[in-house]
Amino acid sequence: MLEEQTLLEDLKQTETQTRAFETLVNTYKERLYWHIRGIVLNHDDADDVLQNTFIKVYRNITNFKGESKLYSWMYRIATNESLSFLKSKSKKMGVSNVELQETLLNNLESDVYFEGNEIQLKLQKAIATLPEKQKLVFNMKYFQEMKYEEISEILETSVGALKASYHLASKKIETYIKEN
Amino acid sequence: MKKVNKNSGFKLPKNYLENFNDSLLDKISSQEEIKIPNKEGFTVPKDYFDTLHKNISDKLEDTPTKVIPLKSYKKYYYSAIAAAAIILLFVGINLNKTTNYSIEDIANSDIDAYIEYTDLNFSSYEIAEVVPVDNLDITDILDAGINEENIIDYLEDDLDSFNELNLDSYDY
Repeated sequence: MLEEQTLLEDLKQTETQTRAFETLVNTYKERLYWHIRGIVLNHDDADDVLQNTFIKVYRNITNFKGESKLYSWMYRIATNESLSFLKSKSKKMGVSNVELQETLLNNLESDVYFEGNEIQLKLQKAIATLPEKQKLVFNMKYFQEMKYEEISEILETSVGALKASYHLASKKIETYIKEN
Repeated sequence: MKKVNKNSGFKLPKNYLENFNDSLLDKISSQEEIKIPNKEGFTVPKDYFDTLHKNISDKLEDTPTKVIPLKSYKKYYYSAIAAAAIILLFVGINLNKTTNYSIEDIANSDIDAYIEYTDLNFSSYEIAEVVPVDNLDITDILDAGINEENIIDYLEDDLDSFNELNLDSYDY
């Protein structure tokens, strides 16, 4: 907490900003990358969104009031950036969100940066069938092993509702894998 | 071992006992809990994370801050431009200049083009300062209005559980 406070102060001061930003990027890049990658699926898109996320963080750090934890705020920006990215991508391609998900999943099979086996591919297909919120909760809880309290702060949803979402998501995924 | 039910009258399907082991194993495997892999299978290019900070820094230097003009606030931009034009007009008269422009001299298409293509650099805070919140309506943000049917459709399609509404007792 103390470290985060110091980092924040350094980020807001011109003399220390560059160094502090490097520390910030190095501390959170992997966690945020995997979070974004789970949403947009493709590496190049994840890279774009991650860079934009950090740029937004850098440009808006002076407006950060410290009402939530820094990492929750960054996760929130990363989530919003990823979802907006998918929306504008589907708009550009002139397809619906569902059609875009199908395209992304089909591309995954030939993606050089996807080394998943058949069951992992099927798992991604199952996750794609979930509503947006359940998808986020499942990825954060299952793959990133985040605590409900952390997810709660990022998604601004109560722990109880998150537990219900995760339970529903797991059941749906199990059923999908069993039936397909 | 003594044979059971030798003369009970019951009969077995042909090859039942011979095939019993296979059918039992099939049943067990079909009921076995589905194991969901705990890795997504995604990978990243070599050295991707090592070069990330440099890439972001380069991008930060290259890209100036960009503010996307908000279409819904267009009408307030018109007012702002109109006010600015009137002030300019008065200043022009007071300074005894010969060139007199009025807001009517500016074509609407020019105002549109100005708003569309000029980086106005208004932050949401600046807009908030001149836009009275009380006078805002949902239709200023959304082109189409929301009726009850739309809301019910949304809840039906996008919510799997009432729990997702995240209503605590004090919300009612």
